[in-house]
Amino acid sequence: MSKDKEIKMITVTIDGKVCQAPYGKTILQIARENGIYIPTMCYLTKVKPIASCRMCVVEIEGVEGMILSCQEVATEGIHVTTNTPQLYTQRQNIMKLYDVNHPLECGVCDKSGECDLQNKTLEFNVATQNFTTREPHRTVENWGFISYDPALCIMCEKCVHVCNEIVGDESLAISVGGYKSTIVNKNLEDGCHECGECMSVCPVGALVSTHFKYSSNAWELTKIPAACSHCSSGCELSYEVKQDKIYRVTNNYEFSSLCGAGRFGYDFENRTNGKDEIDFNNALDAFAKADTIRFSATISNEEALILQRLKEAKGYKLVCDEAKGYQDFLKAYSSISGKSLYSGDLATIKSSKVIVVFGSMVDSDNPMVKYAISTASKQHRARVIYVHPIEDANLSNIVTQYIKYEVGSEEGVAALLAHALVDRDNLDEDTKAFLDNLDIGNLSAESNVGEEEIDALVQSLGKRKDFTLVVGADLYSHPRVENIAKLIALIEKYTSFDTVAIPPATNALGVALICELDNQVGEYTIGYNSRGDFTLSALGEGDLDMPSLNQQEGTFTTINKQVVPTNVALEYKGYILNDIASALGVKKQYTIDYTQELPIDKGYQGVAFDDLKIDFGINGEDLRGYRLQTHGVDSNSMLEEIAPLPTYDGLVLYRANSINQFSPFTHKAKELQSQEFLKGSNQFALAAKISDGDEVKFELDGIKYTRVFKIDTSMKGTVAINPTNDKGLSSTLVSSYRYAKLILDVQNK
Amino acid sequence: MSAVIFSTWRGEFIDNRGKSPDESSESGFKLPQNYHGDVTSKAFIGWDGVAIFQEDVDALRLATEYAAQYQVYSEACGRCAPGRWGGRILYDLLDKIARGEGSYADTDHLKEVSQTMMLTSKCEIGRTVPKPILDLMEHYWEQFRDAIEHQKPSKHYHDDIKYIAKVTAPCTDMCPALVDIPAYIEGVRDMQFGDSLVATRQTMPLAHTCGRVCPHPCEDACRRANLDEPISIMELKRLGADYETDHALPWQHPHPPKPLRNDGKKVAIIGAGPAGLSAAYYLALEGIKVDIFEELPVNGGEVAVGVPQYRMPIEKYQKDIDLVLELEAVDIYNNHRVDAERLKEIEEEYDATLLAFGARLSKAVRAKNERADMQGYWGAIAMLDKVNLWSKYGIGSPASNELKDKTVVCVGGGFTSMDVVRCSVREGAKKVIMLYRRDEKTIIQNTTYEEYHEAVEEGVEFIFHSAIEEIFDENNQLKKLLVNRFELMPDPEGGRPQLVKVEGGDFEIECDYLIPAVSQALDTHILPKEWGLAMTSWDSIQTNGKDYMTSRPGLFAAGDCEYGPMTIVNAVGQAKRAASVISRYIYDGKVTLLDDEIMEDHLARLKVYNKDEKVTGWMPGLPRMVSEKLSVQERIDNNREVNLGFTGEEALSEAQRCMRCYYISMVAV
Repeated sequence: MSKDKEIKMITVTIDGKVCQAPYGKTILQIARENGIYIPTMCYLTKVKPIASCRMCVVEIEGVEGMILSCQEVATEGIHVTTNTPQLYTQRQNIMKLYDVNHPLECGVCDKSGECDLQNKTLEFNVATQNFTTREPHRTVENWGFISYDPALCIMCEKCVHVCNEIVGDESLAISVGGYKSTIVNKNLEDGCHECGECMSVCPVGALVSTHFKYSSNAWELTKIPAACSHCSSGCELSYEVKQDKIYRVTNNYEFSSLCGAGRFGYDFENRTNGKDEIDFNNALDAFAKADTIRFSATISNEEALILQRLKEAKGYKLVCDEAKGYQDFLKAYSSISGKSLYSGDLATIKSSKVIVVFGSMVDSDNPMVKYAISTASKQHRARVIYVHPIEDANLSNIVTQYIKYEVGSEEGVAALLAHALVDRDNLDEDTKAFLDNLDIGNLSAESNVGEEEIDALVQSLGKRKDFTLVVGADLYSHPRVENIAKLIALIEKYTSFDTVAIPPATNALGVALICELDNQVGEYTIGYNSRGDFTLSALGEGDLDMPSLNQQEGTFTTINKQVVPTNVALEYKGYILNDIASALGVKKQYTIDYTQELPIDKGYQGVAFDDLKIDFGINGEDLRGYRLQTHGVDSNSMLEEIAPLPTYDGLVLYRANSINQFSPFTHKAKELQSQEFLKGSNQFALAAKISDGDEVKFELDGIKYTRVFKIDTSMKGTVAINPTNDKGLSSTLVSSYRYAKLILDVQNK
Repeated sequence: MSAVIFSTWRGEFIDNRGKSPDESSESGFKLPQNYHGDVTSKAFIGWDGVAIFQEDVDALRLATEYAAQYQVYSEACGRCAPGRWGGRILYDLLDKIARGEGSYADTDHLKEVSQTMMLTSKCEIGRTVPKPILDLMEHYWEQFRDAIEHQKPSKHYHDDIKYIAKVTAPCTDMCPALVDIPAYIEGVRDMQFGDSLVATRQTMPLAHTCGRVCPHPCEDACRRANLDEPISIMELKRLGADYETDHALPWQHPHPPKPLRNDGKKVAIIGAGPAGLSAAYYLALEGIKVDIFEELPVNGGEVAVGVPQYRMPIEKYQKDIDLVLELEAVDIYNNHRVDAERLKEIEEEYDATLLAFGARLSKAVRAKNERADMQGYWGAIAMLDKVNLWSKYGIGSPASNELKDKTVVCVGGGFTSMDVVRCSVREGAKKVIMLYRRDEKTIIQNTTYEEYHEAVEEGVEFIFHSAIEEIFDENNQLKKLLVNRFELMPDPEGGRPQLVKVEGGDFEIECDYLIPAVSQALDTHILPKEWGLAMTSWDSIQTNGKDYMTSRPGLFAAGDCEYGPMTIVNAVGQAKRAASVISRYIYDGKVTLLDDEIMEDHLARLKVYNKDEKVTGWMPGLPRMVSEKLSVQERIDNNREVNLGFTGEEALSEAQRCMRCYYISMVAV
């Protein structure tokens, strides 16, 4: 990545304090970075200035009038005054206007106690009301997880900005009407992901959780800072707890975001009555018999390390279906790129001008990747090229080019991409020969990716800079994962593309780095959150109960290659993995005693759990935990010839969960519970000879499914989508290629 | 016309109340004392003050109605706290006083809320609305006092008086198509690019085109220039259009096209250029049947076959064209040359006919021995047709067959001549010379700085203050030119400097091609002689410039065939107005304007932009963004688009410089 323009530093004086800042920052940003307070009602750090409240006006020496500090870029040498009697009067007047007819219902309002309008009404001493006007009738709306009360809405527009600029749903809009203006949800039926971002940034009680409403006062809840355990983004959040119950999730919305699963899928804890010694002893017996531990990647780094230590001490095979393909990918990838880790992260995606997404249904696989792409699309007009067998219509406002390839042809597509993108000048002879000898015509024909489509992708690069290639789970489960990884690594190594390989499950990256994984299970298997001959389960359906991740402390290794801590939101009374390991001779007092022993040769830093930070900096820097260190590795691996591309004629199923679903744990959360369907296009229905509403049966990866089929008119082609999150412990057993040929057993409704 | 009784317009102060005509002073501004036809105005009130034309005016009600109109506007906005609540409170308080229920405390609150609006509103409209209201409170205080003291309605509170309001902005007013520029810039600022495009398309269907090749007169009326530099208005228009195209979104119309009326009414349009397409668009959006007759096999008129690919990529223009032609109510007939006979038939068959055939005949340079049939003498329009038909559509043959390694001389000074010389460079000409009668400054004025600068970069030689006296040929093959030199002599009377020939300054240029691009004329042959259509002194079709009907009822004209060779945006503006007039004419046979259109014309006369105004409340010194261009090496031998457009960051930063100078004005009649 190259940044051409040198950033000029400027000096700005704010209330007598001399501040340095790079040119391009707004007056408000510089003030905040320097700890100077300017009141705002509509400012939200993570989006571009909204400029609706006008509270942040300041005075500048030599400039007539009041200057909007949130929007105006500071220039060299200005002298800013943030508070004068005149400014105070205007701000007070604005607060009086905000208070016109605002219902006096703080006593029952959810926001009371953490409401910006309450706070600033007091701050500006608005005790009486000079202004009045007639109030129009406004009705409360139900948007699913979220309720909207327009009478409480102050039209700050924060919700609209996050929906558009971060989430990318473009669901919320302003229904303009002057005093009668309201916020509308135009995609309520289709398109709104119910992520709750809008609700989290609402400064008043206008947008509140339908479920949480009227259940508790804000000040009665204890915030437990934690990391979300549902996907590999490991987002910052707080479980808000009262009397051993999680009431809701909040987050540091000023700087970071959550998806609907993180926000509404919090009550997946495993309730137990206490330590069940019989079960525990049975478990020890099972471990004595077992030669394999099969586990899910929804696990902490520390637990992963315990398992690895058990392997080292007792010789267990470690099988993690969710992480194995990813580990293979990363190893092969490093063997070409020469670096232990992929180069990009969410921030890289967010600042990219061209993003190629390959082999992932990002919208459901990893919402934070989708958010980052959405922000890049909006703020940088990024070209987004979505390379996938299914054109995800949900992304059409973000994607600038869909490249649709034949199921199974990922290796060919990776070769086409490498062939088109890699500049031959810096290549060694072998690699150059490899690329030059590729049979492009054949690959193009077999993968059904036209050379003109690849040309168009290359055209998109144009004179732009900052490119990111995002790859996902379709590739890790592919039988040719290693050569695909090597081809992707070529692109990272020899082009200006950064790469992000989305970890396919919560802690797949941690598991891939910490554990030496085996391919096959042996005779007798212990399942940990996965099915085994003896099963340890945080879902409560096993032979011994285990704590779920909101009942544990520990760390995750996220897509950002960051080690983030999480804490115990709800006390767990039963046995935990560390108890078993200790009984087996792998001893530590607490699970988090393993935190500082995470492998340094894999980039971990040997920091103790209690020394890990869990907050954000004043400017929104994510200070949680630490970043893994990338180090150099041998890169003398060879590319293999492209194997003949497989064909998947007929009906094909794609394994992908619905929006806000990732695993049995999200499925267990009450607010997220929903029926899962087999979703396909009209064309699929026709080919399968089934209709909307038909019940179909099929078996895949040893799992039996009975599903109602639903036609999704936004879909095309003969690939249908089949979720697994409702399949309990079985859902973590799957390691096969993400697409499968389908044989249907149909029963008409 | 009524006299000005009182005015605070734009800083003047006139108070003729109780004065005899001799003592009275007159306004220096073209105020709308006459509304329309024989309708006179009682008063005019707006962002810059208030003017009263009748002694009897109810100032209190005038202020109330103005606040009410602002309230109506803010119901279309409401995007900032002071404007959203302030507008409502302003109106409520004024109406309370005007209906006889007010108190002195209300006037205090009025002043207080006015102050906050003026200092902190997001748009200029919120900042300026209180001004004339406060003027009226000050200078017509006795009316306010009476209403409060006696708790009685203002004197004409219950009378039937019509108040006609219009929202504008300096940039919008200067735009011939009256594009709602602040709205489309706001769409970019908010990253709601679809909204941005919809705002543009309210009055301008050719968003791709006018986001690229518009000479942007609006930027000369940008208030930001009073503070630092004008907003890069034109280029910000591209974002909405590119968004729709890049994401293959459905057409973002300003409102869903109405279903075809099927009532037997139909309109014929001659020519599918910017004017014809624009008129078709606004008629068809209303569900009115339109048939377009186009002589060429391709659509888009001169912008398609005249403006080169490197400046206006056809795949982008084609989007603007498809937007129109894909409407249910539009049918197009290509390769359909309309001559005088055919025009008579069409005029007979259709309820109204719009002439929009442009001006596509290259004018002569008026040199000795100038003959159109001479080999090497090549009219600019014909030359550009050849270049563009080949490069954009693969029709014909490449112009490099003619121009490669040749010396080309172009006579011109406008956009067309720039296209000629820059295309000649791209077709491989050995040497390209532009002769221009006037100087560098004028050529930049006539085109743009970028256009001139890029041509120079590409190696075009500009010879200023020059004109051809004679053309020499051998066996009808053009060989060389005799060129006179001129110099600019100041006019002792203080008028425009005169060009005077420099004696002994003549020189010769040997060349293979002379391409005249001095101006274009319309092909008047298509107009039936017996109609005796009124023509302008420069031989274009005459209308009154307001309703665009020609001297023949039911026959309208817009674009270059009406105005003479002019800009795309001018053609669009004229065609939009003509479409509006036609949409009523075909039903009632009357030529009428909407109040909105009458107000547009008043404001244009009054002039909205005030270059002397001091801008406050904005941070000065934030530079205008300039988009990246292809380097000379990257562009000189191909047709790649030269202007890469704004990056996201540049666009946002530029959009944030916009001060949203909306203004509201109102006439009482």
